[in-house]
Amino acid sequence: MDEKAATERLRSQLSTRFPAGILAVEPFPGTLGRVRFDPALALDLFRELRDVHGFTHLGMVAGIDWVQEREVVYTLWSDERRVYLFLSTLLPADRARIESATAIWPSADWHERETWELVDIQFDHHPDLRHLLLPTGYQFHPLLRSFKLHEPEDLEVKVRNV
Amino acid sequence: MSEMWINMGPQHPMTHGLWNLRVRVDGEVVLDVDPEMGYLHRGIEKISEDRHYNEVVTLMDRTCYVAGLAWEHLFITAAERALHIEPPERAVWIRMMTEEFQRIGSHIMWYAAFVQDIGLMSPFLYGMRDRDLILDLFQSYTGARLTYEYNRVGGTRNDLPSGFTDRARKVCDWLEDRFREYDTLCLASDIFHKRCDGLGRLKASDCVRLGVTGPMIRSAGLKRDLRKDRPYHAYDQVQFDVAVAEGADVTARYLVRMEEMRQSLRILRQCFDWLDRHPGPVVAENLPRWLGAPYAPVGREGYLLKRNYPKGVGFSAVEEPHGEALAYIVNEGGEHPYRVKLKSPVFTNISAARHYLVGYRVADIPPIMGSVDVCIGEVDR
Repeated sequence: MDEKAATERLRSQLSTRFPAGILAVEPFPGTLGRVRFDPALALDLFRELRDVHGFTHLGMVAGIDWVQEREVVYTLWSDERRVYLFLSTLLPADRARIESATAIWPSADWHERETWELVDIQFDHHPDLRHLLLPTGYQFHPLLRSFKLHEPEDLEVKVRNV
Repeated sequence: MSEMWINMGPQHPMTHGLWNLRVRVDGEVVLDVDPEMGYLHRGIEKISEDRHYNEVVTLMDRTCYVAGLAWEHLFITAAERALHIEPPERAVWIRMMTEEFQRIGSHIMWYAAFVQDIGLMSPFLYGMRDRDLILDLFQSYTGARLTYEYNRVGGTRNDLPSGFTDRARKVCDWLEDRFREYDTLCLASDIFHKRCDGLGRLKASDCVRLGVTGPMIRSAGLKRDLRKDRPYHAYDQVQFDVAVAEGADVTARYLVRMEEMRQSLRILRQCFDWLDRHPGPVVAENLPRWLGAPYAPVGREGYLLKRNYPKGVGFSAVEEPHGEALAYIVNEGGEHPYRVKLKSPVFTNISAARHYLVGYRVADIPPIMGSVDVCIGEVDR
């Protein structure tokens, strides 16, 4: 089965199982696709993917700051199907919180601690959400776009036309 | 006896890098552990957002200082996908050859440090001697021994020098003999078995649950290797076997890494044959000038900026010497990546520490953590 057909099949399976909450299942080259979901669905979707679709391994959790919104991207791997799958959800920047995936994949523990401290996304019901890479009590979230490495004048790059 | 917390690290011979393992002990027995990371956090993901794509390669060498080239490949393959660029086939094969040399180099470094942890001094010296031959080869085509900066978006900086494959074949022959010596030094030693057998067990189902990858999961009998499961570079065109062992303990991890080095030699020899037969360009043609490898200017000025380059998201998964490394790169059309997310296999392997350390004794911690092959540069980034 080629990649596109597999993505399409996953889309129909998931939208039948969860009539509301699956916003899109997009193709993503080299993987099974990217599922965009409503954050309210998080735990049900995680459990379904682990138990029914065989995605037993959580590769990473990535947080991306889109200024108005924050995106959380989960990378899953299935040993049976030998394929990666992305889950992606958008959270409003002023209420960036989502259910922790540690109940489904215990490996999410450190990934979520890192995402919380660097991108300021709150993971509800995480067993131990505290600083990992940064010092305890650190007030800033360095991977937010608003956290500047330089003063603005340092960032100016001289532009030449081709 | 009364319980107490003790710190192993950040300056402790066991750590092999700058981190702190907090251990709760009752007498000699480990009751709980809590790894403390971040001593080496340099914010590489953040700095990358402020760098030209080819400049980020420089940072990748600093993520893992024993497998810099594997991390270059991780970043560069994701960046090429995000920027919609295909590298020429010869560059792909050079990368694959480099990655296998890097795997051997990293495993030898692990071997040297690990056997020293368990009280065998001379293998350390042999290991360092043999790793130097690989560094010599790297130096001959990248110009450096530790921080290579060899890969560019769209290919590699330069081709291999003439006569390289013959020299490399000789190194492979030499290493193959040395690997037999390594095994004699360890597997025939009582000290080795007394300090390693049955320690640090983590069975396959726990490895999957806790996200543990690489030689650790293969030592538990699970055949998971991205080179086979999801071939990148040209791994689908070479013959090799995935090294597995059954014991799920420290000795099993030793056996897996040793077998992996032998399989790497097999892949390397196939790479040399292919490279001899297929001369060609090592950089993609028609690269946009701002990406113009190998002439990409270094520094903040002088770029020919093009801000409307097609957007994209790049993902790559590489079986790095320590396990599954992932990169997720968002390209928003600028000359810098919008977001670079890297996942290190050691990050998750250490996060599972509680599950393979609790119940053993304090003196068992150095061999167990040694068998994990810790590289803090890539954990903290």
